[in-house]
Amino acid sequence: MTATLTRVDVAPAASVKRRRRAPGWLAVLPLLAFVAVAFGVPALAMLNGAFTVKDQATGATSYTTANLTDSLQGAYFTALIGSVKLSAVSALLATVLGLLLAQAVVTSRFRALREAVLTASGVLANFGGVPLAFAFVATLGNSGVLTRHLGLTDKGWSLYSFWGLVIVYLYFLIPLMVLTITPALDGLRSQWREAARNNGATNVQYWQHVGLPVLLPSLLGGFVLLFGSAFAAYATAAAMVGSSVPLVTLQIADAISGNVLVGQENVALALSLDMVLIAGLVMAVYLPLQRRSARWLA
Amino acid sequence: MTATTLEKASTSDNAATVEFRGLRREFGPTVALDGLDLTVRPGELLALLGPSGCGKTTALRMLAGFEHPDSGEVLVDGEDITHVPAHRRDAGMVFQSYSLFPHLSVLDNVAFGLRMRKVRTSERRARAAELLDLVGLADKGERFPHQLSGGQQQRVALARALALRPRVLLLDEPLSALDAKVRLNLREEIRRLQQELGITTLFVTHDQEEALSMADRVAVMRSGRLEQCAAPAELYGRPATAFVAEFVGTMSRIPGHLSDGSVEVLGQRLPVDGAAPDAVEVDVLVRPEAVRVEADAEGDARVVATAFLGAVTRITVRLMDGTEVKADLPVHEAGPLGAGAAVRVSLPERAVLVAERANRQ
Amino acid sequence: MARLNLWRWAVLAFAGVYFLVPLAASVIFTVDVPGEGITFDAYGEIVGADGFLPGLVLSLELGAATIAVVLLLMVPAMVALRLGAPRLRPIVEVICSLPLVVPPIAFVAGISTVLKWGPEHLSRTPLFQTFVAIQNPDFPVVLVLAYVVMALPFVHRALDAGLRAIDVRTLVEAARSCGASPVQALVTAVLPNLRGALLNASFLTLALVLGEFTVAQILGYQPFAVWIYSVGGSQAQLSVAVSVLSLLVTWALLLALAGLGGRSRTAPRG
Repeated sequence: MTATLTRVDVAPAASVKRRRRAPGWLAVLPLLAFVAVAFGVPALAMLNGAFTVKDQATGATSYTTANLTDSLQGAYFTALIGSVKLSAVSALLATVLGLLLAQAVVTSRFRALREAVLTASGVLANFGGVPLAFAFVATLGNSGVLTRHLGLTDKGWSLYSFWGLVIVYLYFLIPLMVLTITPALDGLRSQWREAARNNGATNVQYWQHVGLPVLLPSLLGGFVLLFGSAFAAYATAAAMVGSSVPLVTLQIADAISGNVLVGQENVALALSLDMVLIAGLVMAVYLPLQRRSARWLA
Repeated sequence: MTATTLEKASTSDNAATVEFRGLRREFGPTVALDGLDLTVRPGELLALLGPSGCGKTTALRMLAGFEHPDSGEVLVDGEDITHVPAHRRDAGMVFQSYSLFPHLSVLDNVAFGLRMRKVRTSERRARAAELLDLVGLADKGERFPHQLSGGQQQRVALARALALRPRVLLLDEPLSALDAKVRLNLREEIRRLQQELGITTLFVTHDQEEALSMADRVAVMRSGRLEQCAAPAELYGRPATAFVAEFVGTMSRIPGHLSDGSVEVLGQRLPVDGAAPDAVEVDVLVRPEAVRVEADAEGDARVVATAFLGAVTRITVRLMDGTEVKADLPVHEAGPLGAGAAVRVSLPERAVLVAERANRQ
Repeated sequence: MARLNLWRWAVLAFAGVYFLVPLAASVIFTVDVPGEGITFDAYGEIVGADGFLPGLVLSLELGAATIAVVLLLMVPAMVALRLGAPRLRPIVEVICSLPLVVPPIAFVAGISTVLKWGPEHLSRTPLFQTFVAIQNPDFPVVLVLAYVVMALPFVHRALDAGLRAIDVRTLVEAARSCGASPVQALVTAVLPNLRGALLNASFLTLALVLGEFTVAQILGYQPFAVWIYSVGGSQAQLSVAVSVLSLLVTWALLLALAGLGGRSRTAPRG
């Protein structure tokens, strides 16, 4: 009798399991298919093109690393270095300033201030591209409001220089840093500060031995995120027409649209690949740092 | 955990006296402390006990230097430390939770205070190892806080608090965040360590069992004031106020009539213990272990509920007038008494505590 | 923390100046024309300006289409992940993080390469018609395809946060035990509880599309942001005025989002 019972029990369970597993795959399939087409195909095209060279005379294509080497030379190399320099400097400044601003807000007694600044940061971190560039042109450009009233051009100021661009980039990088570091600052438990004081640490010693070391992974993670954002930016720089700063994003755009040199599309793809690799490196550094700070500050 | 002779010699000879004088503190509309006067004797473990918001934690933090009184003084060994900044006070504190530095190893955590004092690395690591041995975690020096259990973390916190050989040890509900079994173990170890070191200790808790079992004296607080400060036995047996009587242990109130220094209750006339209130209509306060319950078919009280507590059975009895009384009976006596059983309630022929009649709901 | 008061107010003051001055200056720039004095002409010109309405309408249409597609793709997928299929979760997470690793400019480089295959290699195949169709300047589907991919990380984060806050499995099982089919359970039990997350995701996507410049410009279309850029050279006041307005609109959107609960995440810029 028991034998028949067990046989009856097993069968329905198996069919239920089969039914349950199918919907999972079914629901995700459209997404996977879409991404494969809309993202995978361009990505593969980029990879393919980066290693392809088309002989102008015969029209034959061949695989080569010449594009990659070209992308790391001459004007392209200058552009890459320019982008790295700009991103590193703005990210560093924004990290420090963002930390100061976040700390000023987080420790305030006025909850309204904290909420206002965090909401504003959420909004400002999205404010970039063309409107931001135009706003700064209107303020500090050659015929900008401040430039005219304060006579800045006579003092040698130009918005279209390296530092002009840095000042513009800070506008969305600082709020991004505030958003990133605020959870970490919240995670700094008051007990640590009190335990440090209880063990004889002054304010400075607390930050030196406890506060900053604990925040370090988050700070590094924030810096890396900011670097990635600044590095990938295109619209802001493009809208500041006449800017003298060489940037790799601008180079790629020029090469694709055939503005400067015809036939450089494949080098543009190689440059794009360079950018992807750098961005990938950024992520590879950011994620473990994120995990470490999450562990300490949870 | 055993204290080294070195530890004992340095602390028990000159155990500190702590005094709170007239401490007053308000946070906006809330009065946290309303004139606290308390003296902690050298080498004793004094528990600050009370419900949330009674001011016990505020008082402790004032001793540590994290809060400042609006008025009043804090004195250690007769010297006024009220205005000494927190990082220069000589009081080691153990927090309720999360106080270990996550980025430092256990050994570095314990050695932190010594590092602030610029003690040489080898010296401070040796001392930290000594302290870890004291709390039974000698082999965990290179681990990190997140790798330890809650009980182990609190032991490290204790070792860290003792590292600078403080005059006073402060414990802010150190066991509240731990599991029951761990709590019991750690309770005994803390008490034993404290006694061996002979260090003056202030212990804040809301758990009266903890306070009664660990402390030399218990200070019961309510709404920023001290209700009573006495040894556990006296607190339990002779509570000074109705609040203390009901907060410490379980207490039942039975209505009675007061006259000529004795009170009539449950058909008995019993002498009054201590001062009697002015009223005629009073409540007699009795502990469950003092109430006698017997099965009696003619009795006018009914058993409402029974609860098996392991060592005894706690019976809730409803009297004729609706009063509910709790009584603890040995398990075999309580056996035949089920819900609804008719019983007779009586009190032993002893003086009883009497308080003003409380309003019935 | 009374002793920090001085430097805190200093920091806040500097921040206030830095963030508010460019906005104020922009507004002043649009009204205070050198040689004409104070005039609100720039704002008056906006609606009638050549290309403004077509550009704005195009952006809004693209936005609506992107939101529809991305939600249709993501919501069933994420709910299904929550209900089971644990092995798929890391795959979807990686897929939704990939667009972050490929900057928009690199992405559009790849897209434009693919689009060139049309006339170069596929002119005899039926696929050619598809290629032409998605590049239709009246409604470039290719932009929708690109925007959906770019929106994936943010929609994923928003939906994940929303799903984490509700117990999806219990809701679905309760609905199923009351007789609902899987689709009914999704629509009637889960979606209403996801309203906040869905709104969140929609607003972020809309903000993304309205502000998107890189892909649209390189591929040669003129939605809103590209139009602003194109008039920038010739009509400075007008373009700054429109920038200010578009900023205010995006702000209003995101503030509404913050108000509806749920801290806003960041959408990409540039």
